[in-house]
Amino acid sequence: MQSLTPSSRGGWLRGYWLPALLLVFLILFPFIVGALTESSPFGVARGDRMVMRGESVRWQSVLIEVYILAILAMSYNLLFGFTGVISFGHALFFGTAGYVLGLLLEYTALETGVALALGVLAAIAVCGALGLLIGFVTLRLKGVYFAIFTLAVAEMFFIFFGRWQLTRAEDGFAITDLPVWLDPSQSRISFYYVALALAVLTFLFIRRLVNSPTGAVFKAIRENEDRAQSMGYNTLNYKLLSITIAGMLAGVAGILQVILNKKVGPELLGVSYTVDPLLMTIIGGIGTFSGPVIGASGLHFLDVFLRDAELVIAGITIDIANIWALLLGVIFILVVIVFPFGIIGTWQRRRATRKQRAVTTGHPPSA
Amino acid sequence: MSSILEVRDIHTFIGQFHILEGVSVSVTTGGITVLLGRNGAGKTTTLRSIIGLTPPARGSIHFDGKPIQGRQSHNIAQLGIGYVPEHRAIFRSLSVRENLQLAERRSGDFARKADFIFDLFPDLKRLIELPGGNLSGGQQQMLAVARALVPENRLLLIDEPSEGLAPVIIEQLIAAIQRLSSQVSVLLVEQNFRVASKLAQSYVIIDEGHSVAAGAMADLVQDKALIQRYLGVA
Amino acid sequence: MAGRASLIAIALILAALFGVAFANSSSPGDFGITLLSGLFQGMLLFLVASGLSIVFGLMDVLNLAQGSYFMVGAYVAYDAQHAGGVIDLTSVLPDPNLRFIGAVLAAIAVGALLGYLLERGLLRPLYSRPIFQLVLTFGVSLVALELVKFIWTTTPYSWTELFGVRESFFELFGQRFSTYRLFVVGMGIALIVAIGLLLQRSRIGIIIRAGVEDREMVQALGINVRAVFTLVFTLGCAIAAFGGAVAAPFLGASTTLGNIFLLQAIAVVVLGGMGSYSGTAVGSVLVGLAIAVAQDTAIGTAFAALPSITPMLLLVLVLLVRPSGLFGKS
Repeated sequence: MQSLTPSSRGGWLRGYWLPALLLVFLILFPFIVGALTESSPFGVARGDRMVMRGESVRWQSVLIEVYILAILAMSYNLLFGFTGVISFGHALFFGTAGYVLGLLLEYTALETGVALALGVLAAIAVCGALGLLIGFVTLRLKGVYFAIFTLAVAEMFFIFFGRWQLTRAEDGFAITDLPVWLDPSQSRISFYYVALALAVLTFLFIRRLVNSPTGAVFKAIRENEDRAQSMGYNTLNYKLLSITIAGMLAGVAGILQVILNKKVGPELLGVSYTVDPLLMTIIGGIGTFSGPVIGASGLHFLDVFLRDAELVIAGITIDIANIWALLLGVIFILVVIVFPFGIIGTWQRRRATRKQRAVTTGHPPSA
Repeated sequence: MSSILEVRDIHTFIGQFHILEGVSVSVTTGGITVLLGRNGAGKTTTLRSIIGLTPPARGSIHFDGKPIQGRQSHNIAQLGIGYVPEHRAIFRSLSVRENLQLAERRSGDFARKADFIFDLFPDLKRLIELPGGNLSGGQQQMLAVARALVPENRLLLIDEPSEGLAPVIIEQLIAAIQRLSSQVSVLLVEQNFRVASKLAQSYVIIDEGHSVAAGAMADLVQDKALIQRYLGVA
Repeated sequence: MAGRASLIAIALILAALFGVAFANSSSPGDFGITLLSGLFQGMLLFLVASGLSIVFGLMDVLNLAQGSYFMVGAYVAYDAQHAGGVIDLTSVLPDPNLRFIGAVLAAIAVGALLGYLLERGLLRPLYSRPIFQLVLTFGVSLVALELVKFIWTTTPYSWTELFGVRESFFELFGQRFSTYRLFVVGMGIALIVAIGLLLQRSRIGIIIRAGVEDREMVQALGINVRAVFTLVFTLGCAIAAFGGAVAAPFLGASTTLGNIFLLQAIAVVVLGGMGSYSGTAVGSVLVGLAIAVAQDTAIGTAFAALPSITPMLLLVLVLLVRPSGLFGKS
């Protein structure tokens, strides 16, 4: 399924040169943009503080958002693409993690560093527990129940936090209390590296997990759960494991989002944080390692570039921003019908059949 | 003798599994042909390929001289083929009457055939308003056969009718199938060799997805070596 | 059909709801208002949930766009009724009562057309990949929402055209009751009975019930199951659009309608037992009443969100206790 394993003839670098090059580029990215645009990757000094101005700093934000969405999409892909369990409420984990962290940072008297550490741990733990609980209730049933249940619980949380006076209901509350090294409005570049590191770690972790014996069972469940069960695996436990891990990873993405925006609000639980990872995973290629990452970066960059663009049809000017969601929806439907394996999946299949054709001549592959 | 069904060298895949790798079957008009073979040999898939539920990827199927492979299931059935699947597949929540009405192809089919059906299976008349799920296994099997008799079918595909039934019921069924074979041709799948040899005039043996032998039932009964080799019964 | 345990459960839930409603109300009139309001919401829910349930039972497709059809129905009816919209009927049908009938018919037509297109154009290619059907209907609901925003903007419309039955009321126990709500309740009950009869008595009903059990066998009997799918799906969408149209005079037209009614209808379908028609009918009434009681209870308290999360709470509870629902097979 994956093409990143090094070939036996070359050295290890042979198989990994592309990702390695990409990683080096991303590490140097703030400096490259800084050099190209003559702006400092650290922002502009004003007195004893740094102010986050300039192109390099601005582009760091864009990439941080890509990393966050990529983590969210990879978590979604672990569940949907590799285990075959579909959730319609991934925002639930994303937003819940944000609220847990926010509450500990802003509503407790703990010292900042302690509150942050506790908040991160608690947020991830709560997301894992939430996934485990929802899975425990619904995963015994037909897959559609899990989808419904996540949709309903996410909506319930959305409504609840949208009205809860303690967290300032719809407005949400700001995060004011962050250590300087992590605060994106004081030293964005260090937060940039934190987010990059977490995205890379998530990628490696999922690849390791899916290629492990546990991951083999995940994939067996996706292909045919009854068969996996008849092979003697307790598929419920494996599905629970998958949803728990996916919930925790989505929580990590939610934590990063809250720190980046320095704000917690019900929009974190909104439907768009469910739709985005679903869309990114499907467009990139479900059940592939790089698909969700490519989907996340592709869609987010398109969003950034097209946000201010205009489209003129028959003399009528339409702001792309106004129809962006509509366009996404249409692309989404087209991909589901025409390219169900997404960009990476379709590419891998093409390559696989070409190889197969080169090896065997004779029986055509059948439906 | 003319044949009503001519299956030539069909290949059928289920998912990525190559289940039928060359099956040919011929059913003579007005006769009963039985498909024999071990479990998993591909007998059920052969019937399902004919009726179009698992369409063959290659090969040809002619019904009454016309090619039918590749058509949709309901179109194939409408040509006059009745299917009595394995495990009966009657509708448990529908009453016996509704089960029979469902099989109508033109309105009034059931009314026209009711006498014939109740003559063949008198029990069904008594059970007519009961839900199918309340029937015993034998009664369900009779309903499944009766259902295939409601429209004007010229060929019945019957899969393992004796499976799981008591000997008395099997005798009843044999008698019924013998009687109805004066009106329609039958392609039967039957594991019970005694039942098969009583009913059929000709046989086809399927082994590992291939049709390996065919001929008159009377010859097969004599050929102990062939029976031993493919069916494992002496 | 329904076991004794289900009947007891239904009786208990009804008793609890009536109990709370009675405790909240100061007079029989108040109680009556709550009851009527609950039945009204229940009937609207039924109009969305019936299609959802029958389609799920027959085709194994949970149509996550069902709420969107309700929303589109509301917009079309609003648009047709009021001057200056996309479809302007004010000059063709100057009488507001007649125009309302025209508006409802327009909504049904649009719902049926869009339902037909969705099934034939988008769902058909995906019957071999069921999980993608779920994903697809989710995508369609997003597109529907964006299209509605594009055509009618995001500002909610409240119904301003006053017409006969919408404004009239009758008095009972010293309270004014809306005739329109009663009218919708009556129509809902008539539809429940009509669809029930269709399922029980007609040939198409037999085919649908048989298809719920075993699609393949229905097909092997010579029945074109796909054509039945298209018909049922189209009807389900048309009924949902009809629901939106009759709801619009009270709820107006807004972009949140789709999601709200989808989730409530899903709660209904799970509560009643997926694919069970009687379960859907009973579930609609129960959830409608529960919402009305919650609305009464929440007035002036800190639990302002209670009515909106009541269906979801019920859904979660049912799934925890009896995932197959009241009428479902376990």
